[in-house]
Amino acid sequence: MALKTRKKRIEAPAIGPRRKAKFQADLAPAEDRSMRLLKEELQLTSNTDFLSDALALFRWAVSERKLGHRIVSESASGERRVLLFPRLERVAPDLVLPRIEIKWTGRELESLAELVSAGEANKPTDALIRAMRD
Amino acid sequence: MAIVIRRLEGHHEVENFDCADDALNNYLQRHAWTNQEKISIGVSYVAVDEGAPRTVLGYFTLAMASVPRDAFPKKYVRGLPPYDVPLILLARLAVDRRFAGRGLGHALISEALRLSLRVADEVGCRCIITDAYRDRVSWYSRYGFVPIEGAAESGPQRMFLDVRTVRAALRR
Repeated sequence: MALKTRKKRIEAPAIGPRRKAKFQADLAPAEDRSMRLLKEELQLTSNTDFLSDALALFRWAVSERKLGHRIVSESASGERRVLLFPRLERVAPDLVLPRIEIKWTGRELESLAELVSAGEANKPTDALIRAMRD
Repeated sequence: MAIVIRRLEGHHEVENFDCADDALNNYLQRHAWTNQEKISIGVSYVAVDEGAPRTVLGYFTLAMASVPRDAFPKKYVRGLPPYDVPLILLARLAVDRRFAGRGLGHALISEALRLSLRVADEVGCRCIITDAYRDRVSWYSRYGFVPIEGAAESGPQRMFLDVRTVRAALRR
């Protein structure tokens, strides 16, 4: 099945009620099957409802990434997976922090050098593990 | 109360913020926005309640810095990589006293560390540094920060957290 709709006028008229936009999409057979299956699982009967729900979900995902938030799924056992979706990364803000200078004493630099050159880092504390999970 | 953490924006209300520390109040109220938007020497993130998203309940400020390799004492240089050491400075972290004890500090440092890890993944960074008030050293220690020796006893305690430790925590 192809999601057959025709793109009509996108721009809303200046005056009067807004017209509904129509879309036509040519889906590959695999995508078509996938969409049918999803509609069945979600108990959606119309393509319009399907598109509307998909749009709502996508809009939410875009707004979250625009804020720089990650989208994470968590299993019952607590295993987390971060959604990496290249198109969403286009809207994520660049995370570049400004650069400043810090004053150090000689003893601080010695101490820092020891810490930085350590072969192995300290193990994370429980609070740190919780912080990265929360 | 649903807490969210956002980058500081012009519409955030900071005038009534009170963490019981004049320097930290003053920074948020007078300097944070200017430093972020005009002279770019620190980016601040604020905790707000989703129900009243303008009122700032807590904040932290991050900036990047580096230590030139030749600034280190010579006897240590051999053990260091042949580059300047890039680091992230957790420059400020404060919670409004009216909202203390509700886990806001934990939420703020969690977000600060997640952001730091993202920066480390994107542009490279070796560690996170903070200058902790003496009475807050144990709080930072809980998150794995270790004291850097050599700070003046009367001033804040400089502390270090290895990015590899933070990354390992994410994998747990």
